[in-house]
Amino acid sequence: MTRKVLSIQSHVVHGYVGNKAATFPLQYRGWDVDALNTVQFSNHPGYGQFHGFRSKAEDLKSIVKNGLVEGLGLQYDALLTGYLPDPEALRQMGSLLSEMCESNPNIKWILDPVLGDNGKLYVSQESIPAYKEILKRGAVFLATPNQFEIETLTGVQISDLNTLKTAVCRFHELYPKIEYVVVTSVDPEPSISDFMLCVCSDRSSKSAQYFKIPKIDVQFSGSGDLFSALLLDTFLSQSAETRDLARAVNEVVSLVDTILLKTLQIHTVQNAQDKSKRINDLKIIECRDLLGVKVDVKYSAFEL
Amino acid sequence: MPRVLATQSHVVHGYVGNKAATFPLQCKGWDVDCLNSVQFSNHTGYGMDKVFGTCTSANELDLVFKGLQDLNDYDALLSGYLPNREAVACMAKNYQELKKKRPQSVWLLDPVMGDDGKLYVNEDVIPEYVSLLESSLIDVITPNQFELEILYGNKVRTVQELKKALQKLHEAVPIIVVTSCSFELFKDPKHLYCVSSVRGQPATFYRVPVIDSYFTGVGDLFSALLLDSTYISHAAEKTPGALDINQVLSIVQKVLAITLEHSPNDVKAAMGSPLTMKEMELRIIESRDCYTSPCSTNDFIYTKL
Repeated sequence: MTRKVLSIQSHVVHGYVGNKAATFPLQYRGWDVDALNTVQFSNHPGYGQFHGFRSKAEDLKSIVKNGLVEGLGLQYDALLTGYLPDPEALRQMGSLLSEMCESNPNIKWILDPVLGDNGKLYVSQESIPAYKEILKRGAVFLATPNQFEIETLTGVQISDLNTLKTAVCRFHELYPKIEYVVVTSVDPEPSISDFMLCVCSDRSSKSAQYFKIPKIDVQFSGSGDLFSALLLDTFLSQSAETRDLARAVNEVVSLVDTILLKTLQIHTVQNAQDKSKRINDLKIIECRDLLGVKVDVKYSAFEL
Repeated sequence: MPRVLATQSHVVHGYVGNKAATFPLQCKGWDVDCLNSVQFSNHTGYGMDKVFGTCTSANELDLVFKGLQDLNDYDALLSGYLPNREAVACMAKNYQELKKKRPQSVWLLDPVMGDDGKLYVNEDVIPEYVSLLESSLIDVITPNQFELEILYGNKVRTVQELKKALQKLHEAVPIIVVTSCSFELFKDPKHLYCVSSVRGQPATFYRVPVIDSYFTGVGDLFSALLLDSTYISHAAEKTPGALDINQVLSIVQKVLAITLEHSPNDVKAAMGSPLTMKEMELRIIESRDCYTSPCSTNDFIYTKL
């Protein structure tokens, strides 16, 4: 049976962020992806300008509730949620998806609490309590905040490994029903470190591991969305008895790193004059063969 | 990587419109920029009371096009189902600008209006498509016979009349593929007939065995694969007559066979029956390897005109 995921994120016509970054890799790995688009933009805002519109909260809700669940009786193996800019839509989808998971515990919800990055909020302030409420309710299986998002959700500022550990512990205290958390793009001392950290923690083991990933001196868009999609596939493809989050995270950060390096390489060949240190679009299609082969892990896990 | 702009419907669940076109093209190495003309929970064959979601308004479409006009030169343009006159006019205006900016791009238009004598768009859509064809900017159209008759302005009851219709439409469009002919043309219940016609050359009839079920999205898959095939033959500067329709039909037949393999034996999809429809969604994902591996190509050629 083909596994089914409902993925609720943004849609850009051009480029690869949100559902455009998540859908193809998941499909290539054999998932039936029901993609519900929270916005339709020409391209992502990182370009400096873009045009488009948001889906209305009531449309998103009726598509899922009246259409997919009640109308077609679809049973999903997984839910994936990302950028959902309208706080009202976030609250409504939050309670609807929570109900779906509560009535069928086989559904695994991977939630990327998209709030912002690098110290900046890029959704409305009202989204913060909405995410907190979703996480408190506890239907989410795995959350993938970045550094700014876990700081916002826990109130703990991360400035070194100790405070990072405090933030992860605090996350488990505040949201005790969430089984797994992976913190991405952790960079407590940006000016002096050559590494980004990625941390994973499982509430039952009382321990957390982290990986040190060499920084690439270029800014990419969509890598977080690609990460959460690949993690969904990799983690849920493990057998439930021998689930190993650190192993899954290592495979995924290794693959994402390879895709970023290949994107950089292609970009450099095509745009020799570009010195901007920012690459707007991941080369997802050029990297498609990498999605179908076994991933060699690149990193070692350290205890946090 | 070649880049295509595809403007057609989006369904959250299932495979029609952009959902049927995008993954196969991506597997073939295309960057697919999908502009969604609607966002529905599922296709309308499930029954209208089972469809939730909204049409993208012409204003919203135009807004997104505005962002795209500054970004790209497209290698190909594809359009399919657009829900109303305003949306067709908006696509027409923007695609003409894009095509003029880059005349070598391949423009495939599927004039989605109806099937089997039934219109499923408003009548005021017809003149929009007719006047768009007259622009002579379109490279390929893929009407079914009903849509061909609408564009031609007359019924087509015989192969001779079909020939006349093709001749007339070739005044504006170099490549015409009629994706399904009416029963009365060949009176052969065992096969579906399609015609490929390149301006200045004899048209070729193809036929494939009929599968007794109701599939949706087949036309959208067909036009996406045909676009790829046309692009490749243009890029290789082959004569346009070298279109590999057999290969396109072979892939489509393979996808249908895989779809049947995955469906329960006793299910035959019927319009308005959600549970049987669900079983007959094209298995676009399971067919991944068909799009790229040179699958054995059958010869579906029936006759030349």
